[in-house]
Amino acid sequence: MAKLKKEVVRAEEGEIFDVELSENLLKANQRLAEENKRFLHENGVRAIDVMGSIGSGKTSLIEKLVQFLKSRYRIAVFKGDLTTTIDAELIARHGVESIAINTGKECHLDANLVKKALKKLDLKSIDLLFIENVGNLICPAEFALGSDKRVVVVSVTEGPYMVVKHPFIFMETDVVAVNKVDLAKAMDVNVKQLEKDVKAINPKAIIVATNCRTGEGVGDVAKALGF
Amino acid sequence: MHEFSVTSQIVQSVLGEAEKRKAKKVTAVYLVIGKLTFLGLEQVRFAYEVLTKDTIMEGSKLFIKKQEGLVKCSHCGYEGGFKYEDDALYHVLVPTLKCPKCGNLVSITAGKECTIKSIKMMI
Repeated sequence: MAKLKKEVVRAEEGEIFDVELSENLLKANQRLAEENKRFLHENGVRAIDVMGSIGSGKTSLIEKLVQFLKSRYRIAVFKGDLTTTIDAELIARHGVESIAINTGKECHLDANLVKKALKKLDLKSIDLLFIENVGNLICPAEFALGSDKRVVVVSVTEGPYMVVKHPFIFMETDVVAVNKVDLAKAMDVNVKQLEKDVKAINPKAIIVATNCRTGEGVGDVAKALGF
Repeated sequence: MHEFSVTSQIVQSVLGEAEKRKAKKVTAVYLVIGKLTFLGLEQVRFAYEVLTKDTIMEGSKLFIKKQEGLVKCSHCGYEGGFKYEDDALYHVLVPTLKCPKCGNLVSITAGKECTIKSIKMMI
């Protein structure tokens, strides 16, 4: 007779209780993001989440978009950074309301921080809100904020592999600004290849080549965002 | 990337459930973590061990089921895994939002979850 395997299921002391939960922990942020979106819409405000690496040109893009759109829209900007109000002040020069959200050590904005910042804003006095995320191509992909559209800024100075190395953030975006195109040649980066990489990952993304120092392409970014 | 804070939420949730039921000990926790989250399972296990110390969860077994990323195509009805772009230039498989069957745009239906499926506890 074959020997029984020595695997015996034993009841532990006391009663074992099996609790079914199915609680999705990442959904909590999603719920808050939807609340933010509803709240913004009730007040007639459209929001744009601007993501991208450190130094890719997120703030420059927002500055140029503000200049381009401020005659037609009343604009406010949330500026996410670990610390300092440097960028928030850069944006405020253009005469729009600019609020710094300092995350301390967190590498992304989340829906709760945006909710808190929204309390500081008179939503009746604006129709367009830019939310600049913390410079990072990884974490912001996972945390919706309640924006209507998302744009990723990727610059040629980050090298040729930024897109394929971070596919998930490009899946989550509506518009991609390929920035600093004036430096493409010096960097030996093929802008067309970057565009091809984005298109392969996310066929619905609209891609615009920009130079946010001169404002080249910024009008097309505005158009791609529906303005 | 956010293993410690997410695991801390997991532990808080489990302890909350255990308290509601006046449990003496939690013996096992079953999680489902999607492959599209940026949660490293090694780090989740490490954080779990640290965070459960000196609680009624200490020594409990942590079971993690990985959920594959799934997509759905509204054009041809395909449901299943991603289409990967085999990029010979970069030697990587890049996941895409293209339908593996018809090439149209797909939407993601699974792979982003981080769920506590069930908890075993001693009452």
